[in-house]
Amino acid sequence: MKRREFLKLAAAAGLASSGIGRLVNTVEAAQIPDLVVAHGSSPSNITRAAIDTMGGIKKFISRGDIVVVKPNIAWDRLPEHAANTNPEVVATVIQMCFEAGAKKVKVFDRPVNDPRRCYVQSGIGDASKKAGAEVSFVDERKFKEITIKGNALKSWPLYTEILEADKIINIPIAKHHGLSKLTMSMKNWMGVMGGRRSSIHQRIDESLADLGIIIKPTLTILDAVRILTGNGPQGGDIADVKKLDTVIVGVDQVAVDSYGATLFGMKGSDLGYLKIADKMGLGRTDIERLMIKKINI
Amino acid sequence: MKNLRRITQGLFLLVFIFLFLQTESKGRDELGYPVKIFLDFDPLISITTLLSNHSVAEGFYLSIITIIATLLLGRVFCGWVCPLGTLNNIIGSLKKYNPKTKPLNWHKIKYYILIFLITSSVFTLQLSGILDPLSLLIRSFSVSIYPIFNYSVSAFFDAIYNLNISGLSSISEPVFSVLKKTLLSFQQPFYLQAAFVGGIFIFILGLNLFEKRFWCRYFCPLGALLGILSRFSILKRSVSEGCNSCGACGSVCQGNASPDQKEKWRDAECYYCWNCDDICPQNAVSFGFKGRKASASMDLGRRRVVTSMITGISVLPFLRQNPFLNSGHYKQDLIRPPGSLEEKDFLQKCVKCGECMKVCITNGLQPTFLEAGFEGIWSPILVPRIGYCEYRCTLCGQVCPTGAIKKLDLKEKAKIKIGLAMIDKGRCLPHAHATPCIVCEEVCPTPKKAIWFEKTKVRDRNRKEILIQQPRVDLDLCIGCGICETKCPVVDKPAIYVTSIGESRSKENQVLLK
Ligand code: SF4
Ligand code: SF4
Repeated sequence: MKRREFLKLAAAAGLASSGIGRLVNTVEAAQIPDLVVAHGSSPSNITRAAIDTMGGIKKFISRGDIVVVKPNIAWDRLPEHAANTNPEVVATVIQMCFEAGAKKVKVFDRPVNDPRRCYVQSGIGDASKKAGAEVSFVDERKFKEITIKGNALKSWPLYTEILEADKIINIPIAKHHGLSKLTMSMKNWMGVMGGRRSSIHQRIDESLADLGIIIKPTLTILDAVRILTGNGPQGGDIADVKKLDTVIVGVDQVAVDSYGATLFGMKGSDLGYLKIADKMGLGRTDIERLMIKKINI
Repeated sequence: MKNLRRITQGLFLLVFIFLFLQTESKGRDELGYPVKIFLDFDPLISITTLLSNHSVAEGFYLSIITIIATLLLGRVFCGWVCPLGTLNNIIGSLKKYNPKTKPLNWHKIKYYILIFLITSSVFTLQLSGILDPLSLLIRSFSVSIYPIFNYSVSAFFDAIYNLNISGLSSISEPVFSVLKKTLLSFQQPFYLQAAFVGGIFIFILGLNLFEKRFWCRYFCPLGALLGILSRFSILKRSVSEGCNSCGACGSVCQGNASPDQKEKWRDAECYYCWNCDDICPQNAVSFGFKGRKASASMDLGRRRVVTSMITGISVLPFLRQNPFLNSGHYKQDLIRPPGSLEEKDFLQKCVKCGECMKVCITNGLQPTFLEAGFEGIWSPILVPRIGYCEYRCTLCGQVCPTGAIKKLDLKEKAKIKIGLAMIDKGRCLPHAHATPCIVCEEVCPTPKKAIWFEKTKVRDRNRKEILIQQPRVDLDLCIGCGICETKCPVVDKPAIYVTSIGESRSKENQVLLK
């Protein structure tokens, strides 16, 4: 028996013994892939289709939830520069959360460039507000020192709104990075770190894996509508941008990133932080062994 | 009339404060409001710029409107418009003056100041902004008063928030967020010189407790300029036969223009506040276009005029005693905002109004003290350890009233170098300590990064070999924006820092052979 199936059966058994589970669940679960890779010309449509194929937004978001949607809004760049998450993808996810009955959707990031400019120039601020989300700038008072007990990070100030949310949806963009090679889901959590976060570059791989101990997203949606292949993570040259018209959705952020690496001709195990995260049991890099569903819209 | 005047003054003050508050980025690369319009209407700034740099200030034509208005209506600007005048009024009204104390009658001083400023500008010095009321007001607000206000209010609300008394912060936080959206700035600004510049401003306001509108009466060079023009105005104050010299108007006169002494009436000192008209029990005072002028001549004394002119000329060699301007070596920390003119031109145009410092989104533009010599006091420099120049921002050039900082579009700005980054290998983590760190490269905004890595094998203390990326700066690509210095995790003295060398505006201050 493959490890995945075993886990599912075990989960189903757990549900059954708690009296809630029904056999239907296992049948349905069996059809739900580990990763969905959706391809198509409309960012909004592929996002929607990918989440639907994952079992639908209702599987992840319940009525009354307070959801944090965390795009990458780190740079003062336009969408075509592929430095920040695609605003259409973000807006679609927000809409879907509300369709599932979410009470509130919060969108924020702690950018590297001026926050006002990043929110406006990336298009994410406006798109999110239009979709009904509460868009806010990070309030420095809301960072709290959290014990992590990781290999590199023993504790770090993290943004409390992330820790207090009912559900977390991570929406990173896939792009090049000078030290960690690529930045995608796991590195996107630097955006909720307070303090002098740039010093984690001294032990970047272990630090990023350590963040995974604390921050457990409900869903991860990797934006690969445009990817940045060089001069990352902020780019600026359109020649470095490749249009792939793709989004990748999954629950396991390590797996999502491992798939993301293939877009750049790498493997998940080529990236130090994914290798460590896999070893720590935070997710899987052996995506050949996962059920990946590819759809074209 | 008094109430009408107060309403007008209040409105102009509100507009002024509103525009001041709007001198802040909302994320787009334009502000949406003519935030520097008060400076545009200022004839003192445009005349001195014209003389010092033979160039026309941005608002030159608008300032002609002020001149024409003064020729028609007299010093109504002082009485009805000037926001500093209004503030002086307000402070003055806090005190009851003893009618028996004699005013100082130092009126002439401001004419000497004006003559000094104009003469020195003929000899290429631009010092008017130091004493020009609008420039002084904007600078004091930007660099000092507003940051202090912001600090106090935020500290108050932060204290409530942190005390965490149940219920209290649920009231204070909504109030705070409304304030944040309206009155407070996006982030707390901090400026070098804040205490100094603010101290001078508070001193000026405090003078009103000695005498009404002290600054306006005795020191304001713009008031002096408008006063001279006002002598020709066609709107005139006249006093009819009914005047029985009761003296009531004398004590209410804002300008201390001696309205109660017919022959000594100083028309140039009249702010057209209408107080004398309002108070006259005989109804003998009137303002109109027909009256004839009966006024004391403005006798400044030839000798004193000449003295102030000579002072204006002779300060020049004093202020220009700046060895850096002549040694062929440049000050490394004199990093001017992008689009700044070549230093000599820059100093001839910059009026130190502080608009650029107020608008700079990173707080990186700071007032100098003596870094640019006496001549350049309070002119802007970028201090990258405080804040960097945002790659796609062009706001400072948009708000500069004289064109000392040129307006750039994004394409032009991308080509402008304001300096160069240099790596201090003795402090840089990968160079000196074989510790990975790529922060400078990561944040470097040029489309092809000006910072590149050399992959090097080094050994640690235990002779273990490590492969490490050591940053290098490409001197051609670096634009000197300074974000690398701002973000360098070696937080005290940075391991990468920007110096002025390589700046586009200078032919001489260069490293590379071109
Ligand atoms: S110095 Fe740079 S960041 Fe600051 S206002 Fe000027 S252009 Fe903008
Ligand atoms: S100053 Fe630093 S960040 Fe700016 S262009 Fe030069 S190397 Fe890059």
